[in-house]
This record gives sequence, C-alpha cells and structure tokens, in this order.
Amino acid sequence: MIRIAWRSLTAHKLRTILTTLAILLGVAMICGTYVLSDQIDRGFKNIFTDAYKGIDVAVTRKAKFSGEMTGATAGLPESTIAQVRGVNGVAEAYGFVTGTGAVAVNGKVVSTGGSPTLFFSYAPSDISNTTYVQGGPPTAPGEVSIIQKLATDQKLHLGSVIDVIAPGGSDKARVVGVFTFGAESSLGGSLIVDTTLADAQRWFDMPGSVSEIDVKAVPGVPPDTLAPRVRAALPAYADVKTGAQAAIDQTKQLSDAIGSFLRPMLLSFGGIAVLVGAFIIFNAFSMTVAQRRRELALLRALGASRRQVLLTITCEALAMGVLASLLGILAGLAIAAGILRLFAAAQIDIPHSGLVLAPRTVIVALAVGILVTLLSAVIPSLRATRVPPMAALQEGAVLPPSRLARFTPYLAVVLALLGALGIVAGMYGPGSASSRLGVIAFGAVFVFVAVAMVSRYVIKPLAGLLGWPLQKLAPVSGRLARDNSMRNPARTAATASALMIGLGVVVFVAVFAQGLKSSFIDSFDRSVRADFVVQGQSYLPLPSDTASRLQGVAGVQTAAGVEAQQAQIAKKTTAVYGVDPYTFPRIWKFDWVKGGSDALLGKLGTNGAIVEEQTAASLGTGIGKTIDVVTVDGKQAKLKVIGLYRETSMMNGVIVSDAGYTALFAKPQLFTVYVKGDPGVGMAQTEASLKAALVAVPTADLQTAQQYKDGIVKQVNQILNLLYGLLAMSVIISLFGIVNTLVLAVFERTREIGLTRAIGMSRRQVRATVRYESVITSIIGAIMGIVVGIVFAWVVTTRFAGQGITFSIPGGQLVAFLIVGVIVGVIAAILPARRAARIDILEAIHYE
Amino acid sequence: MSEMTENTRQPGAAAAATTCEEGTTIGLDDAVVQARGVTKLYGQGDACVHALAGVDIDLRRGAYTAVMGPSGSGKSTLMHILAGLDRPSAGNVWIDGLEITGLKERALTQLRRDKIGFIFQTFNLLATLTAAENIVLPLTIAGRKGDAAWVEELVATVGLGDRLGHKPAELSGGQQQRVAVARALASRPAVLFADEPTGNLDSHTGEEVLQLLRHSSDKLGQTIVMVTHDAHAATYADRIVFLKDGVIAHDCGRLGRDEIYDVIKSLEDAG
Repeated sequence: MIRIAWRSLTAHKLRTILTTLAILLGVAMICGTYVLSDQIDRGFKNIFTDAYKGIDVAVTRKAKFSGEMTGATAGLPESTIAQVRGVNGVAEAYGFVTGTGAVAVNGKVVSTGGSPTLFFSYAPSDISNTTYVQGGPPTAPGEVSIIQKLATDQKLHLGSVIDVIAPGGSDKARVVGVFTFGAESSLGGSLIVDTTLADAQRWFDMPGSVSEIDVKAVPGVPPDTLAPRVRAALPAYADVKTGAQAAIDQTKQLSDAIGSFLRPMLLSFGGIAVLVGAFIIFNAFSMTVAQRRRELALLRALGASRRQVLLTITCEALAMGVLASLLGILAGLAIAAGILRLFAAAQIDIPHSGLVLAPRTVIVALAVGILVTLLSAVIPSLRATRVPPMAALQEGAVLPPSRLARFTPYLAVVLALLGALGIVAGMYGPGSASSRLGVIAFGAVFVFVAVAMVSRYVIKPLAGLLGWPLQKLAPVSGRLARDNSMRNPARTAATASALMIGLGVVVFVAVFAQGLKSSFIDSFDRSVRADFVVQGQSYLPLPSDTASRLQGVAGVQTAAGVEAQQAQIAKKTTAVYGVDPYTFPRIWKFDWVKGGSDALLGKLGTNGAIVEEQTAASLGTGIGKTIDVVTVDGKQAKLKVIGLYRETSMMNGVIVSDAGYTALFAKPQLFTVYVKGDPGVGMAQTEASLKAALVAVPTADLQTAQQYKDGIVKQVNQILNLLYGLLAMSVIISLFGIVNTLVLAVFERTREIGLTRAIGMSRRQVRATVRYESVITSIIGAIMGIVVGIVFAWVVTTRFAGQGITFSIPGGQLVAFLIVGVIVGVIAAILPARRAARIDILEAIHYE
Repeated sequence: MSEMTENTRQPGAAAAATTCEEGTTIGLDDAVVQARGVTKLYGQGDACVHALAGVDIDLRRGAYTAVMGPSGSGKSTLMHILAGLDRPSAGNVWIDGLEITGLKERALTQLRRDKIGFIFQTFNLLATLTAAENIVLPLTIAGRKGDAAWVEELVATVGLGDRLGHKPAELSGGQQQRVAVARALASRPAVLFADEPTGNLDSHTGEEVLQLLRHSSDKLGQTIVMVTHDAHAATYADRIVFLKDGVIAHDCGRLGRDEIYDVIKSLEDAG
C-alpha cells in the first residue's frame, strides 16, 4: 500500500509538486518568523549581555508600569551612589545618566533608521564596556566621545563639532574620543554618545540625579548575595538587580516590544498562508481520489479493505506533509535571511545574531505542515474508502458523495455561527488583547471555511454572469470556459475559496486602513485650527522651549505645544496631555460634551483635568469626579474632572494644564507644536520664518497642515504595502491551487479537447478556453474575498467606531484587487493552457 | 518498398503537386479527395511496421465510400491521414484541390474547420452544450453565423424536433449520433469522414444513422468516407474499398451484404 502511495505521488509529479509547494510556503513563513524573531532576540541578548558584563549589581528607579511613551524615569538622587558604596561587599559603584536624543552633523540629523541614539554620561570602561580606539573620554563640559560607527559613517574625527539634540535642549559638542562597545562597533543601528555627567544631567533634565548605578562586588562576594544587601540599604523606589538579571530583563523588554508586534503579525500571515495551503491540499486530494476512482475500486475488487485504501491515501498525504515541512523549514531560513536583508535595504538596522534554528521552530513547522496536510486530506481519503468495488467495472460512475454531503449547508451555517460568535466574543469579550485576537482569528477561519462550503451554491450563477461577457467576446472559448467552470461547482468553489482567503484579508486590511485614514483626516480637519505642525523626527520629543521660541517668530499668531506622557489611571495606561490653557484653544477646536466650553481650560489649575468622553467611560469617571493618577516614577496625584470632550483620534486621553503637567511629571516631553499663522502675512513667508527659527532644532520637522495629513496617510500606506507584501504569499499559493485544478481539468477533458480540435478549434482557442475558465474561477475568488473582507471590516470598524474609525470603502483599491484576480487567473492558466493546446488529437480521440 | 517508391514517382502525382503549388485546383476529374503513395510507418529499424504501404485513392465529389478491412489493416490510419488528423510518412494528399500533406498546424486546423466534417464512434458531442449548440459548433468555432436556412434544413433532416434544447446526456445514443451527423454537415464540408459511426449503437438506432448518411449523400450531394467493419453498414455505400496489410486489396462499387462477406472471405483466404 505504501508503494502504491509512492507510485501515485511520482506518477503525478506536477500535481505533487504544486500541492507540496502550497503547504511548503505556509510552513516556510511560520518557520521564517520564528527564526527571525529568535535571531533578533539573540541579537539583543548579546548586546545586553555585553553591556552588563562585569557588572554584579545594577540599581535603577522602579518603573510603576511600562508603556510606549512613558519616557525615562526621574532617576535616582546622586546621593544614592554614596549609599550604595557604603554597602558591605561593594568594591565600586558608579552612577551615570542615560537618555535618548539625536546627533546632527552640519545641521543634519544623523539617521538611525528608527533605532535610538543613546547618550551615556561617562563611566569607567569596566562599567560601560567601552574600549577607546582614538582619544579618550569626555572630561570637560561640551566634550563628547562617540561610537566608532558614528565616526566612520559621518567621517568625524577628534576635534569635529557635532550638534547634540536632547529633550533638555540642544548644544554644540566637540568629539574628544572614539570607542567601540563590547565586541561590536555598532549596537544594531543605535548610536552611542558619551558625555560628562553634568552635560547629561542638563540635556536630559535630571539635575542631581543619575539613571542607573552599576556596582562591582568585592572579589568573593557573589552578585546574588550582594543584590539583597544593596536593596536593603536603599529606599523602596530603587530597583536592584544582579547584572545578569538586568541583561535578561532588558533583552526581554526590548525584544517584547519588537516581538509583541512582529512575531504575531508574521505568524498570522503564515497562518493565513497555511490555511490557503490547506484548501489546496483538500482540493488536490479530492481530485486525486476522483481521478483514481477506478484504480481504487480495482484495489477494492482485488480484496483491499477500506482501511488499506485509507492507508494508501493517508500515506500519500503524510509523505507530502513531511516533504513539504522539511523543505518549508529550509525555505523559512531563506525567508528570515530575506526579511533581514529587506530591513537592511530599508536602513532599519535591527540587531540580530546568525541563524538560530531552535528545536521549537522545527517542531512547530513540522507539526503544522504535517497536521494540516493530514487534516486536509482526511475527508477526501474517507471518500476514497467509499468507492465501491463495482466502480472498477462501470464506465462513468461518479464518486459517491460524502455521507455528510447533504448536511453540508447546515454544517456551514453552524460553522459560520460559531465563527461569528468567536469574532463577537473576541471583540467585546474579556481577556487580554492577544487572547481575544486569537479568538477573533479562529472565528475568522471558521467563517472562511463556512463561506467556502456554501460557495459551491453561488458558483453557477456567478460563473454564468461572468461568462456572459466572455461569451460575447469569444463565442466558443468563452462559452466552453463558462460551462466548464460550472461543471464541478464544488471543485471550482474550493479553488476559488483559496484565493478568497488571501484576498479577503487584503480587502479587510484595505478597508480598515481606509477607515483609519479618513477618520484621522476628518478628525484633524474638525479639530485643528493650526496652519503648521512641528514634530520631532523619529518621535523624539522637541526641546521644551520650542513653542515659546516659535511664538515670537514673525507671522505667527499662536504657537501651542502639546506635551504627552502615559500614566496609570484606574489601573489603565492612559495618555495625559499637557497644554497651555490660553494658547491651546486658539489652535484647537474642542467638541465639548454637556455644555462645556473653552473657558474650562482656564479653570484647570494644577489639579483639574478635562477628559475625552470615551476615555472617561472606560475609566468609569465623569464631571465632578476625581481620578487617581500614578506616574511612571510612582508619583500619585488626584485630579478633578471638570469637563468632557470628544476627540478619539488625536487627543484620546486626559488633558491637564501645562502647570498641572509639570507638577505631575518629572520631565517635559513635548511632542507637537501647533502653529497658527497671522492671516495678514503670507503662508510661504511665515513658513520661511519658522524654518529659520527652527535651524537651531535640527530634529524638528516643520510641516504644513496638508503635509502633516499627507504624511500620516503615507505612513498608513507604508504599513499597508508591507501587509500587502506579506499577503501576496497567500495569493501566490492560491494561484498554485488554480494551476492544479486546471491541469486536472484539462487532463479530464482530453477527449473533449481532442474532439473540438478535430472539428476545427485552433490551439489559440483551446488556450483561450482554459484561460477564461481560470479567470472566471479567480474572479469568483476575488469577488467572494472582497465581499467577505468588506463584511469583516464592517464588523470590526463598528466595534472601533468609538475610537473614531469609520467604515469607508476604498473603491479604487477594490477595482485593483479585482484586476489582481484577473491577473492571477491569467498567470495560473499559462501552463495548463499550453498543455491543453498540445494535446494530440488522434490520441485524445482514442483516449479512454 | 520498391513499389512504394515507384508510386511516388508517378507522373500524375508529380504534376498534381506542381499545380497545387501554383494554387490552382488539380484538374483530375471531379475528385474531392486524392491520395498518392500514402505510406505510414510506425517505429524504427527492425520494429518498423507499415500501417500503410503506399495507397493511391481518388474520391469523387458526392460519392459515398466505405473503407473496410480487418483490425490492423490500416483503414483508420488512412482515414486520419486523408482527414489531416495524421501526417503520412511519405506520399501526398489533396483535399478539394489543396495539398494538405505539407500544411502547418494552423492551416490544418482551418482545413478541418472549413473543409472536413467528422463523426466518431463515441464521444462526438460536448456535454455542456445543447444539441442545437453542438450542431452549430463548427460554425461558432469559425466565428460564422452560418446559413440559417441550411441549419434549419439540417435540423429537419436529423429529425430531433423538440429535443434540440437538450444536453447530450439527455439524448439516446442514436439521437446523439444524429446530432453528430448534423454537426458534421453544418459547415458544408467538402468531405465528411465517419469512423465506425454505428459501432456503439444497437442495430435499430444504427440503421437511423446510416439512413441519415445515405440521405445526405443522395439529397445533399455530400461526399462521405466511412470507415467500418460492419458489412451491413457498408451496403449503404456507393463504393467499397477493402484494405489489407496497409494496401488497397479490393476496390468495387455497391455490394450486398453477402457479396461483402464473400470479398472478405476471399481476401482472408488469399492472405
């Protein structure tokens, strides 16, 4: 039986290759994702292990929570260093300030491709792990030393003057040293600048404080012993860890930040690819079984049991699954390398180690590949066992329908309901975001399968409709293609469904992104009265004096800044915005709730707050109530809610006065300055004046309101293109499915094609027939995908309506997706059409 | 082998080839199909088999010819070559004055479409098209509307009446084959080739098809070549050509069934 399985695989090489490829690509994406994220993890781990090499204990200030815009903590008072030194067993303790800023050379900010430019105040080399290759550490104010990568890339040498841009202001600094860090000359794409402690404290608004104290133990005192002693000697806000633990924690924090986004995203696209592959395997095995009906019946007639028939088909599936998974793992390694190459090409320098093929990766890839193949083959295999021995003798008998066939519509409805339930439960139910997303994903898979199951009922009308213009275009080819695509609706449906899944997700993403874009633009147009927007490059905060600096510029009527930090309110991480109560309303049109007015801003004081309506609802607060705010440094405050406003897109959180912000947070974090021009002065002139005023702030990006909106749309589009790229894999896999189906259809219709050729059909017409059938199938897939995608997007945008995301259909893009469907059909038909045209008429006519 | 070489050197054949290149019809009688020295070899070296070993034949316009012979006599091969479905190893074939032996694939397709009608033993119709659609299929393929009156006449001749809108699966074997005859006639071919048209039918329905072919010859003047091993079917033909071992062993006019059996017997005895 195993030999029969092998023979069958090798006898139909093309089908075996195409089917294997379908599952291979999905497995490759999953494997590639794990390899890539492991490489990145390992890369970060190497860096932090280097950074904490030789450090026995590290002391920082405890962060109350972590968020994306929490910024750095206030740090530890300098006096803590002495306290640490006093602990028994401490040989040396060194405090330093660290922060994120930017470096400009000749007035141009040095690009890091999204990685941070890190500043450290000088620490001895056994603490900082720096090795000087030129000059030495900074000793006087205005002196810096830089990492070798920066020196090489920017052709800097000792004595060069660079601009240092930091939240506390910008300054000129002279390069006095060049160093390497650990074993690396660079740290991913990050740049490192060493400064004096005083400069760092000034640039990062940490007077009298240090960010971290690194401790070396007296020889013989193990870190695990020393750490509790240090902890006991320090106040509760100090976070004391061994160096090893600190390396692990920091690795985890950073790779979580990347991994929590990158890994699930890549895995879900891998999952979609696998799902598409599953459809193709199901279809391929269904066709194989149908085609081999007589052979299987003969086996049965010769005495093979049903189990043996089942075993034969299962063996085939198993062999295919193992082969596809193993090759998929290899391809996954290539994908990981390819994505890193892409990142590098896009100048995104993510630290990574060499190839990491963890046992977990191999196990998951093998399990997914083999299980999915076996599961997809199980129904066709069971049907194979139901071929009666008599079929060997009958001409033209059809495959017995599955015993469950008549329940299919009910089963589909049940699946669809379960899927819908999953989606709704995921969107509205409790639980963490990732577990809810998982439930939604399962729901979506159920819905896709259900749609695929019932899609056979729409094949005939759809094919008839699509075939009609084709028939007008080409009376014979169009007509035959139309009829052929309706011949076996179940097969056409399964083939089209594979494409539906890929395109369905594409459409969902497109519609969702369209909603995102239009809601943002609506929101901006509704709320922002400014003509210009100033923001820091790479999300760096602007110097805190930027607003006041711009207020004095000629042609400026109002310049108002928005500071932002995250804090915890009612255990929820919430954005807190600090604005100037007098200038802000001039550039911002509030949508007040319950009779509020701009006058409320004047009443904010230092402990008043106005809250976005949705935020207030989720925090369970309202006008007149008090909210408890906890900052990242652990500072607690009570704020009184004096008003509510609506603005879910741009200012979704809590607004306090600038005075209130300063009272709450240790450090300024100015993200945006809105500028309104004087109507009496030309916009171009004002823009020029603003540019001139911002020369001293090289990280500042000045944009007109329109440029700003375009920029946001462009960012969304960039992400969209990335997602399209990842989804292309699924579409390519479904293309293999169409090829597979067509090759078999051509094979089945050998005699028919021979007959039409004998009575005068040209090769070109035969090719056109196959091509049209392919296009009909692919357009059906595209239409189903578009419908399902739009429905998904509608459901999800309804859920996020509170966040201001509207449901909006990108018509132009949908047309483009239909065209993609046509192109997929045309490409898929190339090979089968050539086969069909090459059919030898005489052989075909006598073909049994 | 020497005989074959001689055949190809026949002056008539050479002249015919020349005139054909000049694009005019050959002037030999009113022959629609002409073959000279047609040879078909299968395999190579010692395994070489002569399916046809030099066949010369002329088929007059309007003639109804039956080609008979035992299995392996080369009768099907001859029909395939005459119809442009297969290429001879040597020799020449003219259809309606056009030499087809050297034609490219595209021209052969056009020839089949415009000059030739086919009826096969089984599987003559496209399952997805109705009977009416199957009948006009050659016209549709050629992108022609066709002569409505002619199609109507055909339909009347075939006598399917109200079953024209049905799919082949809903028709009996005899009805299907009658549709196939109508289809073969639809493009008014120069010659209609029928390969065992009754081979798959019972005697009664077979009779209907044979009568239909006879009718086409008598009333429509259709040239017909029918390959058959059924003596009864051959009695409908004006001329019967007997093939044996790849050559024409006997060529005669209309014969009754018993006479046909006698010829077959005498040929077997001679072998």
